Amino acid sequence: MGLWKVVKSVLAAFLGVQKEGRRREDFESGKPANFIIVGVIMTLMLVVLVAAVATLAAR
Amino acid sequence: MRTSFVWVVGLIIALVAPLAMANPWNMPRGVTDVSGEIFSLHMIIFWICVAIVVVVFGVMFYALFRFRRSKGAEAANFHENTTVEVLWTVIPMLILIAMAVPATATLKQMYDVSDAELDVMITGQQWRWRYEYLGEDVAFTSNLSTPRTQISGEEAKGENYLLEVDEPLVLPVNRKVRFLLTSDDVIHSWWVPDLAVKQDAIPGFVNENWVRINEPGIYRGQCAELCGIDHGFMPIVVEAMEEEAFDTWMEERKAAAEQEAMGVGREWEFAELMERGESVYGSICASCHQAEGQGAPPTFPALAGNQALLDEPERHISTVIDGVSGAAMPAFRNTLNAVEIAAVITYERNAWGNETGDSMQPSEIAERIADQGE
Ligand code: HEC
Ligand SMILES: [Cu+2]
Repeated sequence: MGLWKVVKSVLAAFLGVQKEGRRREDFESGKPANFIIVGVIMTLMLVVLVAAVATLAAR
Repeated sequence: MRTSFVWVVGLIIALVAPLAMANPWNMPRGVTDVSGEIFSLHMIIFWICVAIVVVVFGVMFYALFRFRRSKGAEAANFHENTTVEVLWTVIPMLILIAMAVPATATLKQMYDVSDAELDVMITGQQWRWRYEYLGEDVAFTSNLSTPRTQISGEEAKGENYLLEVDEPLVLPVNRKVRFLLTSDDVIHSWWVPDLAVKQDAIPGFVNENWVRINEPGIYRGQCAELCGIDHGFMPIVVEAMEEEAFDTWMEERKAAAEQEAMGVGREWEFAELMERGESVYGSICASCHQAEGQGAPPTFPALAGNQALLDEPERHISTVIDGVSGAAMPAFRNTLNAVEIAAVITYERNAWGNETGDSMQPSEIAERIADQGE
């Protein structure tokens, strides 16, 4: 399963909305480790992004 | 049917709008630029919420009514609709961000305490506020002035019941005033709605806030952090004056403070001390030891007829200066001056049937306090 697909699924999880078909696909052909690693990295990126916006707003 | 729906929505708005505008229930617009901004934010966000409620419940009630079973409606049976789900996630997110932007701008202003022209230290104490104009040598405590008889119901309640004090905090209009807030005992909170200031006063910390008042007037508030039995009896009154009047007031207060300092050096008459002591006792001590010195045992000891105390003038003096650690008796070393301490001790030793004939001189008290400081 391609990296882009994993990223899209993690983004969908951030939003809390996912198509049933895509969800089934992830569960059938994806490896859990991929989702966990990409999920952790993207969460860190989100934290950095929010911190950057907050720093910018505080100036 | 469609028209009846419009009627219902119209009725709801017609009921809500005046409620939202009516003063007793809404927050005040206040008298500073910041308070005006907070008020506008509050109203904008309120109307956004009203619009959301009208749309969401409108659609819901309409669907309930229009597609009711008695008219033969059949339940749709589907699992998901990604488009709708994305919409109802993204739209609220955008609304929240749109509200956060102006709110953050206002918050930034509220926290900007730089460039103040006057610094006032505000100290919460059980149960009064102390105000100190930093760098000006002017300081005083501000006590509830509502008579006990109104509180106990023996007399009709006045117009500013529990919202009146003996000495208000006096501030100038059109000048940026910085507040430094702290507490001597427990957490209090200094809250004046018209100034849009509600700031915790925490022992061991100094919190900052500021105002620039646009209109002269009297603004009232209360302690907003449950701080003990008399939490409701430590109101705040701010008197905002025109700049010139404020400068005159400040000069007068400074002159009075100097006079008072000179008063420490001279010999005081017994009658003078008694008179002064009675007023100090009434505004500071009576809330715990009661008007006639009868106390409220077992927590607050009686001072009237307290023979053990009358036999030990030394202990009487040190108790008032240093307080009793671990009990509710505060130390008055910093909150009362030497004249006031000497007067109140003299008064306690000769009022309500106590007849020691003792009189304390302010100079003695000042010396003791100075010795302790070394
Ligand atoms: C917040 C409540 C409170 C206030 C205000 C207060 N006291 Fe007290 N006071 C106490 C308590 C409680 C004690 C008992 C302390 C103890 O446990 O020994 C006490 C004890 C005393 C005693 C010693 C009595 C004895 O029998 O040992 C004196 C004297 C006294 N207070 C004078 C004053 C004076 C003068 C003032 C005003 C300037 C004052 N107090 C204000 C609570 C208060
Ligand atoms: Cu309080």
